[in-house]
Amino acid sequence: MRRGRLFRLITWLYPVEFRERFGGEMEAAYRDARTEAAGRGRRGAAEFWIGVAADALLQAPGEHMRILLEDLRHAARSLRRAKMFALVAIATLALGIGANTAIFSVVHAVAFAALPNREPDRLVRLWEKNDRLRIPRFSVSVPNYYSWTERVKSFEQLGAWRQNATTMTTGGEPQRVATLEATWTLLPMLGITPIAGRSFTADEDRPRQPPVVILTESIWRSRLGGDPAAIGKQIVLNDISHTVVGIVTDRAFVTQVHVIVPLAADLAQENRSNHVATVIGRLKPGVSLAQAQQEMDAIALQLGKEYPKDDADWGVTMATFYDWIIPQTIRTGLYLLLASVGVVLLIACTNIANLTLARGALRRREQAVRLALGAGRGRLVREVLTESVLLAMVGGTVGVGIAYWAVPLLRTQLTTILPRADRIGLNVPVLLFALGISVVTGLLFGAIPALLNSRRDVIAALKDESRGAGSRHQSVARRLLVVGQLALATMLLAGAGLLMQSFIRLQHVDLGFLPERLTTAMVGLPAARYPDQPARWQFYSRVIADLENTPGVEAVGASSGAPLAGGFTGQPVSAQGPNALGAERLQVDWRMVTPGYFKSMGIPILRGRTFASEDRAGTPGVVVVSAELARRFWQDEDPLGKSVVTNIPYRIVGVVGDVRSTNPAADARPTMYYSSTQQTPGQMALTIRTRGEIPVAATVRKAVSAIDPQLAVFNVRTMETLITTSTAQPRVTAWLVGMFALLALLLAAIGVYGVLAYLVTQRTREIGLRMALGATRWSVLRLVVGHSFRLSAIGIAIGVAAAAWLGPMIESLLFGVRSRDAATLAAAAGGLLAVALLASYIPARRATRVDPLTALRTE
Amino acid sequence: MSKEVDRLLPLPPAVLHILIALGDEAKHGYAVMQDVAERTDGKVRMSPGTLYGSIRKMLDDGLIEELFRPGDDERRRYYRVTKFGRAVAAAEAVRLTSLLRHARLNGLVPRNG
Repeated sequence: MRRGRLFRLITWLYPVEFRERFGGEMEAAYRDARTEAAGRGRRGAAEFWIGVAADALLQAPGEHMRILLEDLRHAARSLRRAKMFALVAIATLALGIGANTAIFSVVHAVAFAALPNREPDRLVRLWEKNDRLRIPRFSVSVPNYYSWTERVKSFEQLGAWRQNATTMTTGGEPQRVATLEATWTLLPMLGITPIAGRSFTADEDRPRQPPVVILTESIWRSRLGGDPAAIGKQIVLNDISHTVVGIVTDRAFVTQVHVIVPLAADLAQENRSNHVATVIGRLKPGVSLAQAQQEMDAIALQLGKEYPKDDADWGVTMATFYDWIIPQTIRTGLYLLLASVGVVLLIACTNIANLTLARGALRRREQAVRLALGAGRGRLVREVLTESVLLAMVGGTVGVGIAYWAVPLLRTQLTTILPRADRIGLNVPVLLFALGISVVTGLLFGAIPALLNSRRDVIAALKDESRGAGSRHQSVARRLLVVGQLALATMLLAGAGLLMQSFIRLQHVDLGFLPERLTTAMVGLPAARYPDQPARWQFYSRVIADLENTPGVEAVGASSGAPLAGGFTGQPVSAQGPNALGAERLQVDWRMVTPGYFKSMGIPILRGRTFASEDRAGTPGVVVVSAELARRFWQDEDPLGKSVVTNIPYRIVGVVGDVRSTNPAADARPTMYYSSTQQTPGQMALTIRTRGEIPVAATVRKAVSAIDPQLAVFNVRTMETLITTSTAQPRVTAWLVGMFALLALLLAAIGVYGVLAYLVTQRTREIGLRMALGATRWSVLRLVVGHSFRLSAIGIAIGVAAAAWLGPMIESLLFGVRSRDAATLAAAAGGLLAVALLASYIPARRATRVDPLTALRTE
Repeated sequence: MSKEVDRLLPLPPAVLHILIALGDEAKHGYAVMQDVAERTDGKVRMSPGTLYGSIRKMLDDGLIEELFRPGDDERRRYYRVTKFGRAVAAAEAVRLTSLLRHARLNGLVPRNG
């Protein structure tokens, strides 16, 4: 009995036609053969079962393959007969699949691809945090890092680095190079093996050791000409000679790095409250993030007790390497793009499904005849599906061609905006995705027509010769498809509207300074030749004076960090005397700026003054504060003459306007400006406002090298470029989603048009009859347009509801507009309704031109 | 006719075996399997999958046809060789004979074998 069932199961492995023809016989033959084989003993039984296995594994798939080939031949023949349909479908699919493939290549490279490190799941980024000062994530102080390494057990290893910049004078003009001061543990922990030479040794990572350096491949090529004998050679960084011990690939790092030197921290010199280091850890196998967090919490608490002055209130927070490198907002943006382009493909699918249905209506009689002659329904369904998958595969192939052209374009556009975007490409996973969506697309737009076309009543189809019209099921299905399309298009249009609005608002946000005709350029002074404040101040004040005397230059200043250009620094401060926060400290941004900085930036001085030459080194410290800082401490009171305290008090001499310094989308933070006449950093950003068109980079280089030819000028960028870069991500997202929304709109319009055109053809006689009975053109117009209106209204209503429901998911991408913004939803709905009604115009006009006599004669 | 015959040659062994088995009289599937096994002293034993795969192909090619015998068990359909099937079998036999003759002439086959 059980074996009898097995034989039936084997017949189920065969195609349905085969089973219907031979299934019963085969089953009987199996049973007879088994009985007979049993009579021939063990050997007979073995032979029998080998035969059974061969049938299941070879014969059955062979029969399937034969039928598939037959179906493909049939599909190709029938598509050749409908060239126009095939062409439209393939073009639509190619665009849809191509766009999806291109976007997927981005999502794959940025969000899905594994990190290049060894066992990246165990890598964790650690920060310090201070809940009381409301600092959620902050760099780690070097002494704390070493205290952690002594105590922690959850991590196999910890590594840290400090980012810096040094001037390289080997191999050409002085060049400012991005420098990583890293512990010796860092490279091995990240799984980075040098392509030549070696990593640092533990000994090299101690203070007062002979200087060594590891170069990245790019700088090794550009400065040493890719010299294969570079290992062991000397290069000069900040006037100090370093021995090259290794070369690593650039791709190994998250941030831009040119050279790596040992951190070689001298704990006697390091400050425990100076938070400067980036710390990475590798979890021990089997230790979870939560367990590590628990242990670090305890260690931080302990350190707070041991070093109350520096570590009280400081805790530890962490995130996996992946979450750190690819932040949530980037992932949200990417998924939104993928969803949008997916919606476009879905709408394209429904259009092709509609076309296929219409074609099915034309082929109705052919199929009915075949059904009547005994062709199985399964067979007909499969034929339609084979045809649609064939179409989708051809469309997909052309689509991959489109992606082949689009992907490099996306890569160049996105490299500066997204992490890991340089890895975007048409690789195996992306091609598999293209193949996958091609098949799914084909099945999707084929399924509805396949089921509907085969279910009809044979007799009715054969009798109903003249109309070429579909069944009731079909016209319901077609309307549902259009409603679905309109709903999807509404959602996409609403999303695009929100993103566009955000982007436009971002463009018009008041940054707090005037970005026109403003350029920033960085200069760094090596500590060896500029050891103290007077030397540094002398240099900067001379460069500024020289530049200000250059024709075409309006004003020049300098800051330890120009807005949007990096170099962000913050610290907690309190206010002296009565104030709104009492003794509580406020986390504020700080910059060291020259007296002319505010004028060069166009930052208004609201009260008091800027710095002056009498604010010298050695005189009591003065600061200028932002309006927001003054408001937080003293509300509407005049802050001039009052003092803020870091470790020593600084008297406030001026109040300036607020500046959005890190990102146009982020609110201006309370900011405090130290005077560079009193404290001058080694590295500063010059801010140059010009009058006309002058070559700013060359002018600055000339002025700097006139004073010190050994210095490099780097990161020369106009403020407009910086703004474009910092808003690039919202801009690209908004434009791409906007493009997809327009495409969706167009496709939906075609869909509406198709259904109405079909409706008019179907009801020509009815319309003719109505007109013969005295109906006016107006009432006929109303009949058709009213139909379109009803479909659109339902679709749009569903779309608006879905948009309102899904909206909060993209809240993090929006700026200055809420995700359920009524105006945007209304505009999207209105736009779609207008397009839908417009699309019904041609069919409606055709309906009013129906000649009653001709229409009735065809009866 | 001969063009269509040639198109099917050489015949797969299973097809030739089935044609031979059905040569004298119409048989049902299992009987074909038994006949082939007996004729070859049990050396060739077809599995039902091979048998019905071949039967399907032979029906499509018109080598055999189904024989309707009213009142028969539904599961025991009988098959017989068509005229075309006989022509194909004959052509295959001629082909094999000529092949055999050449093998003999070249001393590859014992003369009394």
